[in-house]
Amino acid sequence: MRRFLRDNSMSIVFLALFLAALGGQAIAGHADFNDTAASHGDPTISLGRYVLSSDFGAAVMENWQSEYLQFTLFILLTVWLLQRGSPESKELDKAGLESDQAQQVGPYAQQNSPRWAKVGGIRRTIYENSLLIVMTTFWLGTWLAQSVTGAAQYNAEQLDHQQDPVSWSHYLTTGNFWSNTLQNWQSEFLAVGSMAILAVYLRQRGSPESKPVGAPHSATGVEG
Amino acid sequence: MGPRVALLVCLLLLALAGCGTADREDDATAVAQRFHAALERGDGQSACDALSEETASKLEQEEKKPCEQAIVSLDLPKGGTVADARVYMTSAFAQLAEGGTDFLDEGPEGWKVSAAGCEPTAPSQPYDCPLEN
Repeated sequence: MRRFLRDNSMSIVFLALFLAALGGQAIAGHADFNDTAASHGDPTISLGRYVLSSDFGAAVMENWQSEYLQFTLFILLTVWLLQRGSPESKELDKAGLESDQAQQVGPYAQQNSPRWAKVGGIRRTIYENSLLIVMTTFWLGTWLAQSVTGAAQYNAEQLDHQQDPVSWSHYLTTGNFWSNTLQNWQSEFLAVGSMAILAVYLRQRGSPESKPVGAPHSATGVEG
Repeated sequence: MGPRVALLVCLLLLALAGCGTADREDDATAVAQRFHAALERGDGQSACDALSEETASKLEQEEKKPCEQAIVSLDLPKGGTVADARVYMTSAFAQLAEGGTDFLDEGPEGWKVSAAGCEPTAPSQPYDCPLEN
């Protein structure tokens, strides 16, 4: 058990942080929703009702979709894009999909390589791109969920102001949808860009996200 | 978070966005129809019971008489059937087949009419309502 906790401490701690933050968001969001409802003379709702509402759903989904987009683009673009001196980048002569030997697939696979890394054909192609496929699926799925819950939330406000509700397809053309989408995208792209460049010059001893403290600024694709 | 759990939560939220909406539309429809049926038979008390507190209070302040007397004198659709009802979170609207649209809010006591007999004005503009909160 102790070994399990130690060997999986990263995912366990981040799962706990995620659950705590999600719970906190539910409580804070519920309070904010009821404050707004009261100021409009509208009925307030319970916490249980709030976490099942489109208001909470949209708030959660718009953040999830941008995180999965961040990882989708980061995984995809770092195949080809380089940043001299950054541990986030591959070495400057390794842009692209790399050789089968370097990727340990097919005849270059090891005894304990994943099964689909050893085979050929469509199975290997799927496995070679499995991380991107799953991240992209999550991104598109959560973006769809954001649009559906966001449309319901938008239409609730429309009705509150005695205006016509809009269709889902029309909602996709509104400033509300794109403002909520892009406000999240810009922060994700900023985070990746910041990390890529700051890690060229700054260090964090012991972190795999940093170069070794004594590594030169020009060293690319090395981790501490 | 495991990929399967994330996908499950995502699908659940999508389903919940539409789940139970049909029942709530029926409830909002029933309240709107009861409201207009009460107006048709001149039952001001029953009509006022279907109003939200804010709307009833505003009506009494503006007309300077009790709600059940004020409401029957307003130019509101009497009787009629709801042709289309939509629910979004705790807000609903019900369009009458004979003309006129009601807006409703859901509270602890169920759906209440917050605006009634509304007519559209310009596109993307609020409806014009003879009775509203």
